[in-house]
Amino acid sequence: MSAFLKGLGGVVLAAAVLYGMQRTTPGYGDITSPRPVAGKLGHRLEGRAFAIDIAKVQLARTVITKGASRDSTFTTSGVWVVVEGTAEALNESLTLLSAEWLGPNGVRYAMSQRLSSLPGMLSGQRLEPGLPTPVLMAFEIPESQVVGGTLLIARSAWAPLAEQARIEMVGVKPVDIHSSLVVARAQGRVPWALSAQ
Amino acid sequence: MSAEQRLTWRRRLFAFVVASVGAAAATAISFAMTVYEAAHPKPVPIAAPGQPIDTGRWTITFRDARTGSLPPTGIKPSTPKKLVMVEFDLDNRSATTSNVFSRLFAIEPPIANLPPPAFYLARDKSVAGGLQPDMPERMIAVWEWPAAVPVPEQLRLKVATQIHKQRDNLYGAPGWFDRDPAAFVTLAVGTSP
Amino acid sequence: MTSERRRYWLSLGALVVVLPAAIVVNSWDSLAEWRRSQLQKPIVVERGSAQAYAGAEWQLTGLTRLPGATPDTTLIVAEFDAVVDDPTLLQAGPCAIALTDDKGRRWLPVFLPGRAVRQGRPAAADKPRCYGLARAEKGKTIAMAETFTVPESAAGLTLSVSIGGAKPASLVLK
Repeated sequence: MSAFLKGLGGVVLAAAVLYGMQRTTPGYGDITSPRPVAGKLGHRLEGRAFAIDIAKVQLARTVITKGASRDSTFTTSGVWVVVEGTAEALNESLTLLSAEWLGPNGVRYAMSQRLSSLPGMLSGQRLEPGLPTPVLMAFEIPESQVVGGTLLIARSAWAPLAEQARIEMVGVKPVDIHSSLVVARAQGRVPWALSAQ
Repeated sequence: MSAEQRLTWRRRLFAFVVASVGAAAATAISFAMTVYEAAHPKPVPIAAPGQPIDTGRWTITFRDARTGSLPPTGIKPSTPKKLVMVEFDLDNRSATTSNVFSRLFAIEPPIANLPPPAFYLARDKSVAGGLQPDMPERMIAVWEWPAAVPVPEQLRLKVATQIHKQRDNLYGAPGWFDRDPAAFVTLAVGTSP
Repeated sequence: MTSERRRYWLSLGALVVVLPAAIVVNSWDSLAEWRRSQLQKPIVVERGSAQAYAGAEWQLTGLTRLPGATPDTTLIVAEFDAVVDDPTLLQAGPCAIALTDDKGRRWLPVFLPGRAVRQGRPAAADKPRCYGLARAEKGKTIAMAETFTVPESAAGLTLSVSIGGAKPASLVLK
């Protein structure tokens, strides 16, 4: 009888171990997920391939771009988030193609393609080592996702084990939403000029 | 062979037959089920314009259809074209920004030589990029109708669904996969200036 | 201990040896190639001399500094020649040109030379970038030019040339 119980106990233990292993095995998406480097708004974050410093975050209901021939108004059902910062490559020239806003509910909002032609947009800037470059990013998010957001910036959205900067957006509050933000081209080091209305 | 040897042979043969009966039964049942499902497909529901259709990744609500010669951008094309435009509301229900809506619906029955449609954002009147989650947008799909085919009075669209699998069958990676169509929608095609 | 138990423990011990050995044997080729590429030192070519590499004789003909868009940037125009000896070897893989400095930083070429190069060094503005190797014929000299945006303070700049077919060997033109 005790031999039978020992056998049964062995089977139950094996089943429990296997069940535990099945539940805790990370999936392919987790194994190849980007390597995060944590940072905060207003502080320079240095990874291995690039360094980024997010200086200012502005919120607005509409964005007006002043082009060469005409002005365009961009409305949204949520809020526009316009992020200004400085980025630098550390060892080799690269372009940061992926920027996402991770909302508190876990949803990731990618950079808005509607405003991709703005001067100084992150995905269009080639970052060279030794040359900090001003960069601009624009996101469209629901108003409920403004507080507690995190900026995720990486070279590519799909490359496995890419380095990803996670910048906590502390101090970004919905009370500061402007009614409109005007983006115009500027001469000089920073190719854009933002003014709130 | 001695009597004992024959007994063990018979016992092993018996065990073999029992095991293979189980496997054969499983194969036969699964084959029969596949054949039955293929012969009796589930009827695809008909949806009306204005009714939200849940396709897994997107929730789509068709508004109207019209023909015209001017695309939503308002810029006259260089050569005169017949355009068929379908206006709809699209809501991204996934957890990331997505621009994979080109195969969300198709004209049923398919028209020969019809190029894939271009999608415009009604808000900007320009070509649509990715749609943000939880932020529904009105969009316009524009087909360049071939000159030889007459413009239809009624447009029947088949709406496809997708499911999200946390672990797919090849890499164990998360992804969206096509499933059975969600609904058929028939829209009356009006004319626009 | 009984012979059965001894066999059991011996097998378990052998597993500890056999598993890593299986991994190493399967990846031996890629391991050897990786080690070879790590130990490979690039061939350094001084200015004025030519070096045979990947089926051509390479020479750096000019490294010009031009003022960049802002005071702390400099445009470097690197001009180099390749006298073709074996076109197949030359076109065997993609060409990778980069500018390196004494601190080990690498700058990749800009896509278009731009107005500054056309004004400052017009001869280089007409030369093709390294895709000019696609038109290689034996005996022909292909003159190429690449432009880089580097900080004003970058020093010890050298041009690194790497042709896919000749990897892991690479060239450094001073």
